[in-house]
Amino acid sequence: MSAKAAAIPASSARSPLAPWLFLSPFLICFAVFTVYPLIQAVLLSTQTTFGPGATRFVGANNFVALFRDPLFWKACSNTLIYTLGSIFIQLPLALGLALLLESPNLRGRSWLRLVLFSPSMVGVVFAAMMFGLIFEKRTGLLNQLLHGTLGIVGIEWDLDFGWLQQHVMLGLIVASLWMYVGFNMTFFAAALQNVRKDLVEAAIVDGAGPVSRFWNVTIPAIRPVAGFVVLMSVIGSFQLFELPYIMFSSSAGPDNRALTIVLYLFQNGFEVGDLGYATAIGWALAVILVGCTMVQRLLARGEEASA
Amino acid sequence: MTRTDAPAKDGFLPAWLSPGAAVIASLGLLACVGLAFAPSTTSEGRVMWTFARPHYLMYESRVEAWNKTQTPKIDLKLISLPAMERRMMSAFLGGVPSADLIEIERRAVSRSFAGPIESVGFYDLTDRLKQEGLLDAINAPSFSPWTSRGRVFGLPHDVHPVMLGYRADLVEAAGIDVSKIETWADFAREFSKLQVDADHNGEPDRFALNMWETHNDHLELLLAQAGGGFFDESNRLTVDSDINAHVLATIVTWIAGPSRIAADAPNFSAAGNRLKADGYVVASFFPDWMGDIWKHEIPSLSGKMKLMPLPAWKKGGPRTSVWGGTMLGIPKTAAATPEQFEELWKFAKELYLSQEFTEILYRQGGIVTPVKKHWSSPLFDEPNAYFSSQPTGRLYINLAPEVPHRNSSPYNTLAMNRVADSLVRLAEEARRDKVYDYASLKERARVLLKKAHAQVADQIERNVFIAEPDAAETVRPLQTGAFAPPRPAKRGGVVERSETGEGSWSPGTQNDQIAAVPSPASPAAKRSSPRQRGEEARGPQSDVKAGGGA
Repeated sequence: MSAKAAAIPASSARSPLAPWLFLSPFLICFAVFTVYPLIQAVLLSTQTTFGPGATRFVGANNFVALFRDPLFWKACSNTLIYTLGSIFIQLPLALGLALLLESPNLRGRSWLRLVLFSPSMVGVVFAAMMFGLIFEKRTGLLNQLLHGTLGIVGIEWDLDFGWLQQHVMLGLIVASLWMYVGFNMTFFAAALQNVRKDLVEAAIVDGAGPVSRFWNVTIPAIRPVAGFVVLMSVIGSFQLFELPYIMFSSSAGPDNRALTIVLYLFQNGFEVGDLGYATAIGWALAVILVGCTMVQRLLARGEEASA
Repeated sequence: MTRTDAPAKDGFLPAWLSPGAAVIASLGLLACVGLAFAPSTTSEGRVMWTFARPHYLMYESRVEAWNKTQTPKIDLKLISLPAMERRMMSAFLGGVPSADLIEIERRAVSRSFAGPIESVGFYDLTDRLKQEGLLDAINAPSFSPWTSRGRVFGLPHDVHPVMLGYRADLVEAAGIDVSKIETWADFAREFSKLQVDADHNGEPDRFALNMWETHNDHLELLLAQAGGGFFDESNRLTVDSDINAHVLATIVTWIAGPSRIAADAPNFSAAGNRLKADGYVVASFFPDWMGDIWKHEIPSLSGKMKLMPLPAWKKGGPRTSVWGGTMLGIPKTAAATPEQFEELWKFAKELYLSQEFTEILYRQGGIVTPVKKHWSSPLFDEPNAYFSSQPTGRLYINLAPEVPHRNSSPYNTLAMNRVADSLVRLAEEARRDKVYDYASLKERARVLLKKAHAQVADQIERNVFIAEPDAAETVRPLQTGAFAPPRPAKRGGVVERSETGEGSWSPGTQNDQIAAVPSPASPAAKRSSPRQRGEEARGPQSDVKAGGGA
């Protein structure tokens, strides 16, 4: 026994309450702020409510109504489109920019990194308002820019192009590209810096070209980080709320084209006041996110096994 | 622990205090001291919330005058509408105090009507309004947005009739006589003469009307004017009514196709103001409060604008509609005794119903009072320079009695959104398929509205409280001589009325009188489910509502 252990009185060392005492701050917080709300959320999803005072048990009716609700499915499909846009447009672009930043011949790397990263420091509300103005019909900067520049080469760009009417999800994806591509780029840049130089040099010695090196050395090396970024992007995209909410002045846009799952949850819970139905939507979202996480983990495990 | 194992003393800190803990403790101490000496934010007297800056500026002098001579002192606070709506609803749902007087907009207040009638957070003013003759003294349609299941919960601030504002310089130069325009068909025919293609790109550079499928407020006021809308006077859903289909089809003929007369110049935006100033659109919808906004935001059009009554949907039909609305309500938690209620009620009347306020309301906001006895004031005959010296007050007052009644259903916004979705789809399908004839559009509008109707009915059906057959029934009488502030009893998870009548005190009665509140809702409306009611309501409907931001 060490001198330290010997100094602890035998009675307190044997006390069965001691570990619980030390764990209690966490356990109390966990019970109050996690377990209790979760139980309440389960109960709430089986009720119709008008605030906390007026509640009525409705069993699984909220979930049945949810699956029959065309707006919920519209919210799901909009969210999915946005998520796919985030993954298949935003992340390759972020990776491309990271590769550009890691290019040995690049000058002004620090400035470029700052410029690309800085939009992610801008608040979403500000960005949403700014893109609302940029996407305006007729007087909007984007339509004016496209009209002016394409006009030079003889292409007539419609000044009334409805970014915020017919092409809502495209508009949201473009806005989120501006906001988050630099942020995701930093993850990829960090991962690229950790690619083992000896492997790259060995590939060069073996006669691998740049494309082959990228697919066979770089991609496997950054795969864990890429998996993490994809998962974070999926979770973040499924939680899309502020951008459409601000851009469409607290609505879901024309014909609910900007309706996302979280926005629909918000509308039901805080605008209609039906907390039970909103909680059911929340549970549906939780199931989707848990499903995505499990798929990602299964894929990662499969790759690890095959490696 | 042996003495040699004790942590070494770090500078001036005692051995048991690490530098990090010292920093955290210091910050905590500083925060406590700061909070202890921070100036108190407790209001003196009674707190009144308002949501619109112009309203706040209008009330400042009135509140100041009141505070000099009367009690209780009023502390006026400006709070953004979404924040106010959330605070108000949180307070109502939690049964905790909020402000003592809440001035709130039509759409925001309707949420408070979603539960059982006795859990509405505002005092029921119906009997008091009756006793004091205010139901007759105030323009009747102005009560409708604050009336739920026959009970009035707010004092109306305005009427908000809608006219058509047009570029008089352009219209008169083209030799168009607006006095000959009676219907929307006349308007389309005459004003389309102003649509010119100056740059020869095949599209007009100017359109007759500011209207687009995404302009929900415009759609709502047009539906209201036509006698359409979302609920009838018995609260039956009328989303798929024939009138609504007619209005939607007609609007699409305005915004798409060869007879297009309308374009998108959004309200309340710099981009829209620029288009209006440039003459991209000739005519716009003008509720009484809009003139003041244009005066400040598009001053270049001063002296170039004029107002005319809205063209009717058919000859002899209503020449106006309604857009927006505000009420002043007294939350139940604000008055624990009848005396306290009386104090607040006195201030509310002084603020909204006085001749002095009528003048401030009109001069500062262009808004016409709903108090009919003030309508004869010469104030309303004064020429308005912005509108080419027209007596705009008188023009609006002439239309005020015609303003359509509106429904206060908490599902108005939802129904409005679904109808607006139908319009967006109808317009886009028309453009895609190049089908612009009225008959085909109306047929398609019917199908889209039927779907919208079913969606709204489904959502209403989920609200077991508003659909409860006893929800609008008589509130039990208060025991003689007892004053009981409203306090809903909770039983089995559902708010219910107290057996003793607690929660039923009505400000319309004296504290030693019995407050018996009759049910206004028709038995048929109460018994049928929302879906059944929707099905019963098919066919032409007559009741209306509209909305907006003032």
